[in-house]
Amino acid sequence: MNEPSVERPIALLRETAARVAPAREPAVLMDEVLAATTDPFFAAESPLGTVYVAAGPEGVRFLEPAASEEEFASRYRERFGRFVSPAGGAEVADLAEKVAAALAGERVEVPLDLSRATPFQRRVLGVVKGIARGEVRPYVWVASEAGAPGASRAVGNVMANNPVPLLVPCHRVVRNDGRTGSYAFGAGEKVRLLRLEGVEPEEISGSPYVATPTTGIVCHATCRNAKRIQPHNRRAFRSMRAAVEAGFRPCEVCRPVAAA
Amino acid sequence: METETRKTDATPEPDPLAARLADGDPSAPGALVERHYMELYRYAYAVLREERAAEDAVQDAFERAFGALGRYPEGRLRAMRLRPWMYTITLNVARNRLRQRREVPVEEISVVESAASDEGREGVMDALDALGRLPERQRVAVTLRYLQDLPYAEISGVTGWPEGTAKTLVRRGLMRLRKMMVVEDTRGDQR
Repeated sequence: MNEPSVERPIALLRETAARVAPAREPAVLMDEVLAATTDPFFAAESPLGTVYVAAGPEGVRFLEPAASEEEFASRYRERFGRFVSPAGGAEVADLAEKVAAALAGERVEVPLDLSRATPFQRRVLGVVKGIARGEVRPYVWVASEAGAPGASRAVGNVMANNPVPLLVPCHRVVRNDGRTGSYAFGAGEKVRLLRLEGVEPEEISGSPYVATPTTGIVCHATCRNAKRIQPHNRRAFRSMRAAVEAGFRPCEVCRPVAAA
Repeated sequence: METETRKTDATPEPDPLAARLADGDPSAPGALVERHYMELYRYAYAVLREERAAEDAVQDAFERAFGALGRYPEGRLRAMRLRPWMYTITLNVARNRLRQRREVPVEEISVVESAASDEGREGVMDALDALGRLPERQRVAVTLRYLQDLPYAEISGVTGWPEGTAKTLVRRGLMRLRKMMVVEDTRGDQR
């Protein structure tokens, strides 16, 4: 069909095609497109082994141990409907540094992007984020602190789907009776993580509350005030109700609450 | 565009990049941008004829594309023929932007166009002007075939037209362009 009469327009179009180019550097434009369409990710070492971390505009959006980058990228796409691409910019390098420090146990504020979570999930994750290293809290306490007393089961669901484990230390949330309970990466891993942080799960299991007659106050067993109680004054309780019935009042630092 | 009446894919060749996206290869999104950026830019530029507008349109097209692909089930993602699909999205974005621009007062448009017709780009603008004067279907067909160098199977994938229809539209469009050029030549001789 390329009869002679149309060869000129064809040649002109092809010549035109060769001459149309963006005014700015194509590599810069492509980077802009990639930055707008994908989320950066990087690997980090953690007590759970190598984890991968993806960032949203506000900070870390997802952290998970994965066998490979591909597995992590697929899980991220399933969960957030977005693609990841290798982190490039200085902003992400700064975030990666903070994440590495936090995972090594340093007290570093890591910005999180929980914009995809519901308000309830955000409140729960915010409460759990504040549980200090070396301490644990029961589900019932997290529910109460998040403004939803009695919602232990809902708190359990939020923990099971925690998008940023370790950074929001859901392994520090234990059953109401003090047993460590389940963990997204295995109940054994939860015990191991707590031991690494100086918590002895056996000491808390069955007696999550500790009181002293010298002050008349009852604490969570890992509260910093409870740690100062002399061994001969230590009174262990299986539940807050039992402690309250014995005449103790809740510590104002760790604010223990009775299960519904 | 008649995407609804699109006939079943004539050449379902698997796209290795679609498989990489489905497998979670984190370098795949970058590879997709790199593979198509320049040709989609050229395509958007042919419609919008302004550099900044073409950049924006291509970025918008990629945002829509990744937004959709991110939510596709793995199997559907793997079966994607990405190139014609990217063209379809870019064409829709560019068309919408052109339509919006036409709603803007005429003076503003003339500013945009004079800014774009620098020296040295005149040949380009002449060719794109001529293309712009073709009826829409002919313009799309000719642009895809000779500015973008797409084979007819992919033009069919982009537009939903049977290949025969695309060929006819290209032939008619080229004939019309040829006539325009003859008229231009005659004018030039008279000067």
